[in-house]
Amino acid sequence: MRIPLEARIESAVCPGCACLCDDIDVTVVDGRVYQAANICLWGASKVLGHKRFHPKKERRRLAQPLIRHRGRWQTVSVDAAIDRTAEILIKARQPVVYGLTNAGCGAQAAALQVARQAQARLEPADLAWKAPYYQSLKKYGVFWATLEVIRDEADTLVFWGANPLHSCPRHVVRYSIFARGRFTERGYDERRLAAVDIHRTELADLVELFLQVEPGQELSLLQEVLTATAAAGGAVSKKARRLAAMLQEAHYGVIFFGRGVSYGPTPELLDGLAGLTARLNEHTPFVLFPLSTDFNAVGLYHLLLRELGSPLAPDFGAGEVSFHAEPLRWTDVDALLVVGADPFWFLSAAEIQDLHERRVPVVALSPVANRTTGHAEVVLPVALAGVETPELAYRMDGLPLSLPALLPASLPSDQQLLQQLAAALGCSHRGMACV
Amino acid sequence: MATLAEIREFLPNSDCGQCGLTCAEFAEFLQRHELAPEDCPVLHELDYAGFIEALREVLGEPQTKPAAGMAVDPKKCIGCGICVTLCEYHLGNCADVRLSKGPRDLEQVIFHIVNGLVVVVHQEHCTRLVQAAEKCSKCAQHCPTKAITLY
Ligand code: SF4
Ligand code: SF4
Ligand code: SF4
Ligand code: SF4
Repeated sequence: MRIPLEARIESAVCPGCACLCDDIDVTVVDGRVYQAANICLWGASKVLGHKRFHPKKERRRLAQPLIRHRGRWQTVSVDAAIDRTAEILIKARQPVVYGLTNAGCGAQAAALQVARQAQARLEPADLAWKAPYYQSLKKYGVFWATLEVIRDEADTLVFWGANPLHSCPRHVVRYSIFARGRFTERGYDERRLAAVDIHRTELADLVELFLQVEPGQELSLLQEVLTATAAAGGAVSKKARRLAAMLQEAHYGVIFFGRGVSYGPTPELLDGLAGLTARLNEHTPFVLFPLSTDFNAVGLYHLLLRELGSPLAPDFGAGEVSFHAEPLRWTDVDALLVVGADPFWFLSAAEIQDLHERRVPVVALSPVANRTTGHAEVVLPVALAGVETPELAYRMDGLPLSLPALLPASLPSDQQLLQQLAAALGCSHRGMACV
Repeated sequence: MATLAEIREFLPNSDCGQCGLTCAEFAEFLQRHELAPEDCPVLHELDYAGFIEALREVLGEPQTKPAAGMAVDPKKCIGCGICVTLCEYHLGNCADVRLSKGPRDLEQVIFHIVNGLVVVVHQEHCTRLVQAAEKCSKCAQHCPTKAITLY
């Protein structure tokens, strides 16, 4: 009889979302996660990833590199798939390295290298609402705090276009709505809460003030709140007055905003939210906090700021690097390398059809089969970062955490493959044979 | 009702502590039908074959079924842990929960989160069941997906 190998890892870090919860107790049996305690369903689907445990979250793992040849998949070696990818990127005029918010810091650094070598544009998956945020910081200054400080001190929280229960479920328990900390010992009972959204979300039952607005009306609501907080008079609706009053009565407040702001006129909304935060800061500490979803979205912006001095999307195409705050137009792309994201999940049918008609080659690095791998010409399976390979990731407030591997990996990491790709690109550019 | 002495005849009486109690305390829980013979891990060893069945016979059927309890719908639960953090009992008895963390495996909690879903382990601690006058329903009330039913 074979005795199953059992290991227990206490206080592991969950790579499920940007909360990076660090209180997960994992039991590994025979090289598979058997049990993970304290992890939410999101994290569980990533760490367990098997039908057996979660019939509703089945995920098909990829095992072999694939290349599409005359419409049919062929299994190839890693080297062949990398060579084909290098070829695609070199041939393209406007290649894009896309995604990276769901990838560790090592993979992100390697992807930046690839973008440089391939003279490509590097596009963070959440650029649409992060770029305006960083631009607003430039104008109004930084209003920031760690999640622990928020947990300990914040007595008023607003969620603007953000639903933590969908993007990072345990955020509400560990750091925001229900969290108890040093000066917030009674947690939920002594916090004042508001949420603004275009749909009725689960937050509606949990917060004191839930403002459901028509799509496109966020900006006018925000302007009314700004008017109400200013001394000067002006027409203000009852909703806006209530929200403004709540904000002004705070001792320590946080405005969490999420992906929802990307539907509105995003730069104006962020400008308004940052302006509001700045005004509230004249009287009391207030923080403007982007509720990142993907587990290392923040790490990518740290990398860009550190390496290039700008949080915007760098484009290495024109010989020297240029930066973009506007999300890319898919109609401009002529080759796509996707890492740590699944853009085909949200692209419109027209955009997908356009990519098809122009035969834009797509290369996907992914641990699991998803819509992007389904449309790809080259698929490179990778190990699960933070589960099967060690990685470094930045929590949503910018705290770097190291994620040790919980399981042995049978596939290369995305970092390894991207490094190999960068090397392949470097060689071909210099017209040399690779060693 | 079975006496404690009768029950202890069929316990290992080694006070190994694996059940979190002494054997004498375990016997009291058995007598009140709050734990079952299977909850003693030692009794599952080969040396004690037949003891569990014998204990069941000694104990007989519980007099009354618990009048109240809770049920969780695993199809709805998303494992957010709001119920775990808000629970009145946890607040008084689990330091990790007071610090907004998840409880450790072996803590005596009413429920915890395993593989992304809530699991009820010690329903008997629920203040609703312990003190009939207590009207706590915080877990069910604040569950964002309405996965908990108290009855
Ligand atoms: S909230 Fe995020 S980090 Fe925490 S357990 Fe869930 S998925 Fe993992
Ligand atoms: S586990 Fe069994 S043997 Fe050990 S103390 Fe409890 S009742 Fe006694
Ligand atoms: S509050 Fe509801 S959804 Fe959250 S863990 Fe508890 S039962 Fe599940
Ligand atoms: S009803 Fe019971 S289980 Fe629910 S919060 Fe209250 S004490 Fe805890």
